[in-house]
Amino acid sequence: MRHISKIGILVAVVATAIASGCASTPLRTEASTSGIRAAEEAGAAQVPQASLHLQLAKEELELAKGLAAKGEKENAASMLLRAETDAELAVTLSRGDAEKSEAQAAMERVRQLRQDNP
Amino acid sequence: MKTKQILSLVTLVALFVGCATVAPNELINARSAYQVASEGPAGQLAPAELHKAHEALVLAEQSFLKEPNSSKTKDLAYVAQRKSEQAVALGAIAADKASKDKAEAGFREKQAEIVKQTKQDLSDSEKRIAEAQAELDKQAAVKESKDKADADFQKQQAEIAQAKQALSDSEKRTAEAQAELDKQAAVKASKEKADADFQKQQAEIKASKEKADADFQKQQAEIVQGKQDLSDSEKRTADALAALAAIAAVKEEERGLVVTLSGSVLFRSAKSTLLSSAQVKLDQVAKALLAVRARNLIVEGHTDSQGSESYNQGLSQRRADAVRDYLVQKGYPADRIQTRGKGEGSPIADNASPEGRANNRRVEIVIERELQKPNQ
Repeated sequence: MRHISKIGILVAVVATAIASGCASTPLRTEASTSGIRAAEEAGAAQVPQASLHLQLAKEELELAKGLAAKGEKENAASMLLRAETDAELAVTLSRGDAEKSEAQAAMERVRQLRQDNP
Repeated sequence: MKTKQILSLVTLVALFVGCATVAPNELINARSAYQVASEGPAGQLAPAELHKAHEALVLAEQSFLKEPNSSKTKDLAYVAQRKSEQAVALGAIAADKASKDKAEAGFREKQAEIVKQTKQDLSDSEKRIAEAQAELDKQAAVKESKDKADADFQKQQAEIAQAKQALSDSEKRTAEAQAELDKQAAVKASKEKADADFQKQQAEIKASKEKADADFQKQQAEIVQGKQDLSDSEKRTADALAALAAIAAVKEEERGLVVTLSGSVLFRSAKSTLLSSAQVKLDQVAKALLAVRARNLIVEGHTDSQGSESYNQGLSQRRADAVRDYLVQKGYPADRIQTRGKGEGSPIADNASPEGRANNRRVEIVIERELQKPNQ
């Protein structure tokens, strides 16, 4: 009885928030910030393409915050989306670089092995 | 391909609808990015992401149709581009991962191959080593057996030489022994022969000795007998001579012992028939003569000179014969008595006197010496 009511309250609050699209709700930057962190941790700064998108993600995050501060919530949300996708791409590009390196290394290893052992 | 068609349609519509409106760069980029992504390997390697990229592009196109220049459209286009790039990147990752996996697999495979090859090489090596070792062992065995065969051969040769030597020695000893045996046999044979000869000699000697003894004995006996005979004979002869001497005149002459018997004793005058008294005398003479070994007698008749020579010859012959006959009759061997009629040819006395004539009228019995053989 009690948790049902708690959930009910929660649902009500969320529904209200969504319905109103209210300016009072804070900007949901978790996805982009965690994405940016992930990109940084993935070493995107060392991979040129990745670092580009990492940088873009950071800038976009700031732009989004600015927009949110100006009250352009939709634009801010879109900008956040940009940041998220850039961060995601930065991560992927970092991984891709690493993967490419590993693949090259693996291919070099096998090539060398084959060369050494005809 | 449906997606492409829709997209083309949307683009076309958008061109027509917003013919005066040029798509924002973000959308152009987004479209081209999607084209690149869809033409690449992302469709196979990252289909989900490509789909998301397509949905994002569709949203952006829809937004473009509604609000061609809005930030929202640009943002959606931007996001759509990034999502296409994301799909490409993920596709590249997947491709690289596949390459990496393939390379790693190839590496492992090559490693395994190398290991296998190494093992094989090792095995081959070991096998070759083992073969070489076996070969060495075989050679060693061959050498050993060869050495052994050589040693055996040497040993055999030595044994053969030894055996030959032993045989030679043996043959030599055998020859020596045989020579010894032959020698001994010869010695024995000669000894036996010598013994036999000796025995024979001994026997002969014994025999001849016995014979000699026998002969000697016989001789001795004969001698004794002879002596005895001689003695007897001599005795008899002596007796006979004595007897003869008692009977008649006996004289030793060169021609023998002459027993002279007077004619008047033996015969009547002019007769040739023996008187019976003469027979007595002649018996005695015969007995005396027969007592000794028979000797050759020559009975000679003699006359005196009275009468003719031929008459006297005949008479004397007849008288001699008569005496002879009587002696023979008495047993004297006939072949030992000869008769001769001497007639008047051998007087012993003078015929002038009657005594002389009486003496000439006689019969002489000549007992020849013993060397004479019986008259034939």
